[in-house]
Amino acid sequence: MTSPVRTLVVTAPVQTAEPAAAGGEAAATDLGPAAIMIESLGKRYGTGPLVLDDINLSIEAGQFVCLLGASGCGKSTLLNIIAGLEKPTEGAVTVASGKAAVMFQDAALFPWLTAGRNVELALKLRGVPRKERRTEALELLDLVNLADASDKRPHELSGGMRQRVALARSLAQDRKVLLMDEPFAALDAITRDLLHEELERVWRQTGRTIVFVTHNVREAARLGQRILLMSSRPGRIVNEWTITDTGSRRIESPEVARLGDEITDQLREEIRRNAA
Amino acid sequence: MPLESQAATARVHDPGHDELRRLEAGLDSLQAVPETPRGAFRRTLDGVVPPILLLIGLVAAWQVYILIARPRPDLIPGPLDVFGALASAWSSDRLQLAVATSLERGGLGFIIAVAIGTPIGLLLAECRPVRRALGPLLSGLQVLPSVAWVPAAIIWFGISDATVYFVILMGAVPSIANGLVSGVDQIPPQLRRVGTVLGASRFEMATLVVLPAALPGYFSGLKQGWAFAWRSLMAAEIIVIGGDIGFGLGTMLDQSRELADLSGVLATILVILFVGILVELVIFAPIERRLLRRRGLMAAGLR
Repeated sequence: MTSPVRTLVVTAPVQTAEPAAAGGEAAATDLGPAAIMIESLGKRYGTGPLVLDDINLSIEAGQFVCLLGASGCGKSTLLNIIAGLEKPTEGAVTVASGKAAVMFQDAALFPWLTAGRNVELALKLRGVPRKERRTEALELLDLVNLADASDKRPHELSGGMRQRVALARSLAQDRKVLLMDEPFAALDAITRDLLHEELERVWRQTGRTIVFVTHNVREAARLGQRILLMSSRPGRIVNEWTITDTGSRRIESPEVARLGDEITDQLREEIRRNAA
Repeated sequence: MPLESQAATARVHDPGHDELRRLEAGLDSLQAVPETPRGAFRRTLDGVVPPILLLIGLVAAWQVYILIARPRPDLIPGPLDVFGALASAWSSDRLQLAVATSLERGGLGFIIAVAIGTPIGLLLAECRPVRRALGPLLSGLQVLPSVAWVPAAIIWFGISDATVYFVILMGAVPSIANGLVSGVDQIPPQLRRVGTVLGASRFEMATLVVLPAALPGYFSGLKQGWAFAWRSLMAAEIIVIGGDIGFGLGTMLDQSRELADLSGVLATILVILFVGILVELVIFAPIERRLLRRRGLMAAGLR
């Protein structure tokens, strides 16, 4: 690790305090072009309770946003709606660049294809001519340090390697927005730590807009430029932190720990409200 | 917000990246699953030797019983009698003819059954209303012994090959269709979601995702379909005799029975058994092993 320890300036939380009245102001200060616009979005399944309530969000192009919340707060649902996999009950979602690439917790590689062919399939579905697929797939695998594993099948790869192939596959879609649903939650801590670095490097190198869903506070504090905290039942965005720092930071650093503590306190507050 | 510098750092050689690469490479090799491939020769030897030893043991026990108990040869023939019956059937060319006729019928019937069962299976798997309507019927047909169709088939088609093929189809088609349905049902939903996310059209989803993903289930349906086809064929051949119908293994079995030639009956049963084993070993087992190993679905002991 060569990253110098830079001061981490955490802007005072944009307190959208009263969850009931949340939303509106959160999206107020949008600078630059919005890659993703979410306007008064609500979601319920059938006649069930509200899962998401009045979500308003504007995400800038090239931003790394972490969506943080306890289990069942609807953060995955929100991601699926942005991905177009689910329909919102009310409100609208606009992804400026059209569709988004998605990565799941489970790598979900096609087990009958080699790592290289898995990436090639994404290229094929994107309409890349046959001749160029092979070289482009190898380049993408090289981006995640897996050029040598191109001919391996998914079951021959470790969990971390599979996730990196899945990352290469989502990059193969060549979409400006990358949505990630707890992609590292099932990995061991050592691997996860390395993949944080890998992902951050890929993000800096490709300039993608990333929305990263997690329930791991430290992970959010380690990766995000902007961290959105969601409450549960119904899911609302209750607070957000913007981190004014362009350099890499380690998960063990005191800045990350301090930010993590702060977020954890409020997360617990939100969870406690669900007691009794 | 400070975004300005991120795009600029692209494609710059930095030592931090090299270190990350080495770290990752180290972790990858630590986590790699070591494969211990066995040679094809060793594998064949492991697969062939135990059943052959068992066979020799069984035949020896049979011969010992004949020597000690001395039963009536017309009720319990010895291995030598059965082998003699086999040799005489071979020298009169009846055995070759019967095996060729039955294999041809079984093979052709099986191929037709695949051609009919596959689209039915796909339709059932992908179209809910069709499945609700036809699913129970197809499961019922799978349980119904296809020999039960023989009387009806004789009335419809007379004593002809059409009767035999009809019975084969009624036996094999439901298995093949059901195999494909369960293969499709077992596809992890995540794979379809990935297909959607990658922008697959309906056709691409079916050909590039659903069919390959359903292949293991479909294949076991095919195997079962063959077993049903072969069984139904033998039953049909024993019952449907005369007319312009060819001479198959079932016919040979029935002829030996009429002559009260127990050695001939046992010899024919053994031939039917061995043809079944041979088709499994030569055609289905290698394809299945390949299919499963490529997906990492094979138990370690069977590699």
